Amino acid sequence: MTPTSTSSQVDTKRGPAPPHFSTAFQRAKWVVERLDAVTYWGIVVVMGLMVTIVALQVFWRYVLGSSIDAADELSRLCFVWAIFLAIPHGVKHGVHVGIDLFVMMVPAWLKEVLFRLMAGVSTLLMLMVMLGAWVATVDRWPELMPTLPMTSAIYYIAVLICGAHAFLHLALLAWGGSRTWEELS
Amino acid sequence: MTWMAIGLFLALAFFGMPLAFALGFGSLAGLWMLDFELVVMPQRMMHAVNSFPLMAIPLFMLAGELMVRAGIMDRLIAFANSLVGRMHGGLAHVTITSGTIFASVSGAAVASASAMGSTLVPSLRKYYPDAYSGAVIASAANLGPVIPPSNAMIVYALMAGSSVSVGGLFIAGILPGILLAVGFMAIASWISWQRGYPLTGERFNLANVLHQGRRAMVIIMMPVIVVGGIVGGIFTATEGAAIAVVYSALIGFVVTRRLKISDLPGCLYRAAVTSAMVGALIAFASVLTFIFTIEMVPMMLSDFIQELTSDPMTFILLTMALLVLVGMLIESNAAYIMLVPLFAPVALTYGIDPLYFGFLFMYNLVVGMMTPPVGVLYFVMSGITKVPMMQLVKESLPFVAFQFAVLALCIFVPQLVTALPRALGY
Repeated sequence: MTPTSTSSQVDTKRGPAPPHFSTAFQRAKWVVERLDAVTYWGIVVVMGLMVTIVALQVFWRYVLGSSIDAADELSRLCFVWAIFLAIPHGVKHGVHVGIDLFVMMVPAWLKEVLFRLMAGVSTLLMLMVMLGAWVATVDRWPELMPTLPMTSAIYYIAVLICGAHAFLHLALLAWGGSRTWEELS
Repeated sequence: MTWMAIGLFLALAFFGMPLAFALGFGSLAGLWMLDFELVVMPQRMMHAVNSFPLMAIPLFMLAGELMVRAGIMDRLIAFANSLVGRMHGGLAHVTITSGTIFASVSGAAVASASAMGSTLVPSLRKYYPDAYSGAVIASAANLGPVIPPSNAMIVYALMAGSSVSVGGLFIAGILPGILLAVGFMAIASWISWQRGYPLTGERFNLANVLHQGRRAMVIIMMPVIVVGGIVGGIFTATEGAAIAVVYSALIGFVVTRRLKISDLPGCLYRAAVTSAMVGALIAFASVLTFIFTIEMVPMMLSDFIQELTSDPMTFILLTMALLVLVGMLIESNAAYIMLVPLFAPVALTYGIDPLYFGFLFMYNLVVGMMTPPVGVLYFVMSGITKVPMMQLVKESLPFVAFQFAVLALCIFVPQLVTALPRALGY
């Protein structure tokens, strides 16, 4: 298949198209999309719980004159989970800000190379986060949270999921390039 | 080791890696060189995010999301139009007035820019060039972190430890915020008069103002209740933010009736993903600040600066000059997280009022959101208006210059920042 001059000009400006034709890439993208769908609802649930718990605590404290013992810890747990579940989604939607002063000045091909290289380096970082979080989860498993009959490792499970999910997202970006999720926009 | 970690962070950030991940990689290298176990990284990350005060950020963002979904922008714009629509540059005044009121709901510049950009750009572009419209919206949106509530102030107070309160910083932002809004309106009038832009709004009519004011009252009451409660010490910033969420939901479901149950998952999701940007920065930067502490960087910095000068004002001016530079290059949240733990303790050793220093620090980086090349608000407005960034920068110059003038005024007239908080007992 020979690209037309227009499309090749577009490709020169925007970087090469991702390997959509590759079955392996499609499968990897499918897996990440399924994970995104599951964690989307995870984020919605923990955010909803966080809002409800804090709002109820305010009502209990200022209207009923008492407080819910576990509210502080439970709301913080929900917050930790919401943030760490949402970090990989931020990778997908490009919300993690960076400095593009130098990158904007280089030719499109070099820009694409840098994009994939930085995604690759970030993948390595997330692999390390995941491994560290695994060790932390195993270490903390026997300990219970102060006000809830639940293992305190539950905080690190969120970091572990974040590391694994962001690892997959960044690896996909390193593989497919800057246009991996282009149909999103 | 610290310098190698910082060097690696800067190199990776220069090549386009998101700041959070560049901080993470630099910190990872620092931990490795200092022979720390890998487990330290997730421990520091989790402990940094596991904070009750920080929870106010997604809650205020959610309140802003719900308010926009509830269709409050229409009421705000109608009210602002009835008040100031007929003046020279009427629509620009409407934008600035709406920005001032929305600032007291959202607490974030980017959220304000997105909300105002999507609702006001179609009207503004009928009368003004796109670049000017974008510049006015970006400037009005930059009132978001100055007028309370403010996510930037929450992050600053968290990073500064117990030396400064969120409520005190909130109050400190009121006078400079009003000064900025009035100044922006004067600049908009002058530009409109100079360029001969047409008059846009209807003639001033008290009955219409009262009618629109009554419709907008439910929105205006929100900051009165929430910010009033926080600064009055009735509830914490996080509890206030939760009240703001409930209040916004009630407005959407009961008053405007434009919010649907099916909108809630999207609002919750967007608030979480936007907050995750700040969360990732805080999580990874906490590892770097851990390395700073191990290597006693704050003490070394304090000694170094005190050798340079013993005069508090010289220290403030040096810090402000550095922050102007930092604001040009680094996203403001990343800057708070990395620099507040270093500079806030040094300011205390000089005997500088932590509230005064905290506000100057925060405000300087807020202005940095409108200084190129890393001017986040330009990115947002360029995306909405499709105007090249440099044109937005050019049109914004008078507004940015005025923001720096207010910074200088706050430096040399500290009462502008501290008088109101002190009067209220902070």
